[in-house]
Amino acid sequence: MAMRDTAIVAYSEVKTVQKSDRDVWEIGAEILEDLLNKTGMEKGEIDGLCLSSSTTGAGNCFWSQSTADQLALEVDFCQTVDIGGCSPTGALARAAVAIDAGLCETVLCLFADTAVRESGQRQRHYQQEWTVPLGVLGPPTSFGFITSRYEHQFGLDYRMLGKLAVAQRNGAVLNELACEKLRTPITIDDYMNSRMIADPVRLLDSVMPCDGGSGLIVTSRKNAEKKGYTKAVFPIGYGEKTSYQFSQNIVDVTDTGHMPAGAKAYKQAGLTAQDINSFHPYDDFIIAILIQMEMLGFCKKGQGCDYVREHDFNFNGDLPLNTGGGQISVGQVGLAGGGTNLVEAVRQLFGEGGARQVKNTNNALVTGIGGIPFNRNWNTSVAMILTPNG
Amino acid sequence: MITVNDTLGIERNAPAARSFSQPFWDGTKEKKLLVQFDTSVGKYQWLPRATSRFTGRRSVLEWREIKGEGEVYSHTLVYRARPPFQGKEPFFIAIVTLPEGVQIAGNTVGITKEEMKIGLKVKPYWHPLPDGYNMLMWQKA
Repeated sequence: MAMRDTAIVAYSEVKTVQKSDRDVWEIGAEILEDLLNKTGMEKGEIDGLCLSSSTTGAGNCFWSQSTADQLALEVDFCQTVDIGGCSPTGALARAAVAIDAGLCETVLCLFADTAVRESGQRQRHYQQEWTVPLGVLGPPTSFGFITSRYEHQFGLDYRMLGKLAVAQRNGAVLNELACEKLRTPITIDDYMNSRMIADPVRLLDSVMPCDGGSGLIVTSRKNAEKKGYTKAVFPIGYGEKTSYQFSQNIVDVTDTGHMPAGAKAYKQAGLTAQDINSFHPYDDFIIAILIQMEMLGFCKKGQGCDYVREHDFNFNGDLPLNTGGGQISVGQVGLAGGGTNLVEAVRQLFGEGGARQVKNTNNALVTGIGGIPFNRNWNTSVAMILTPNG
Repeated sequence: MITVNDTLGIERNAPAARSFSQPFWDGTKEKKLLVQFDTSVGKYQWLPRATSRFTGRRSVLEWREIKGEGEVYSHTLVYRARPPFQGKEPFFIAIVTLPEGVQIAGNTVGITKEEMKIGLKVKPYWHPLPDGYNMLMWQKA
């Protein structure tokens, strides 16, 4: 596999807001224009479009074509990736594969969603029949089950979840693109005292639904060299797992698809967890970060709280974590929210982290979590390792 | 002291069943807990599916009645919900492991915050719905 023969040559992100006053395509157009400015490309050089899922676009089964039409992009590859929160990183992987296979040369990966302003989704899965009649709110309830179970199996020091929440919030304070409402510092006590949503899941465990978007320009390594870009980031390892252990009725919900997905990504990259310079895990709930640390080998299963106690997750700490605030402190941009942490990783590897720039930029690990199945953790897990050192 | 709502006063109808899940809902009319069984591997499955989660085969599936006595696998006390549950919080949702090797979720009746714990023994409580179906809930065994 030669995903590494593709290069991310530019990233873009708009400010995350509680409710957008602009249409999702206007956000997409702003991201496109910013990426053209940053790369010096003409629009006609973009010959691929790969979109994340969009709650706003979810009612339109022609979403990728409609978006290509609105942005007037003539492309040889046009696709929406619908693996929930894994969609942005999954879209980047698919763009790289399409480029490597010769389907196209330069892809706009666009992650825009205005779920709060305009939800177009009409979900068709198990929930209407099996969980809505029980009063399940959705993800918070599911993560309530996961958290209760984790605590039962391993014990859980909630103050350590608070420590992760505080570290991410510190990043959002330094991130002018984070939702303004979330840009005030918090303490571990604030975390502990925040109200219960689905006991033991608290308000400060949870993402806040927001609107916004981000995007990347991905091109072949050859084209990146030809055009003389001085900054580029390369995907050097990727793993993806959907329906992990779904052939079994009863599983351990503290085991996730990140274990096999991460193992694949590490193997391709020739790295281990101990080599990772900064960690950008998908964060819809704080417990998901803890579990991913275990699944991705930063510590052993069940020992996440000890690991958190011993490490510093601020941008200048020994394992910088979601340095822009993560979705929990930036705001969750609907189904495009996976783009927030992905773009932050690219920003850091470009050395453009500003006041929150991490010191070590040899690599970054980005993950995704997508979908909430019945009595499991999640439907899809992805892990991607990026490096600026081609 | 937190009073847990048993949700019995919340108006709700049986959801629209799918072609392959209708037998379960029909069973609830007689307060029978029907679960799919894959005869080729000798295992039950939940949720109802259009195929066996074990083998991908349909012809091997049949519906069998089970007793429904089991223990709590995990639980959450819901403080925030949508209508018609909104304003009626908090209430429990529990996932229950049954000896047949399946896990079924439900609201709880008569279980206090202090009593709820993983491993608590429970049995079905059938709550009548307006349309003749019954909703499977969990009560202390």
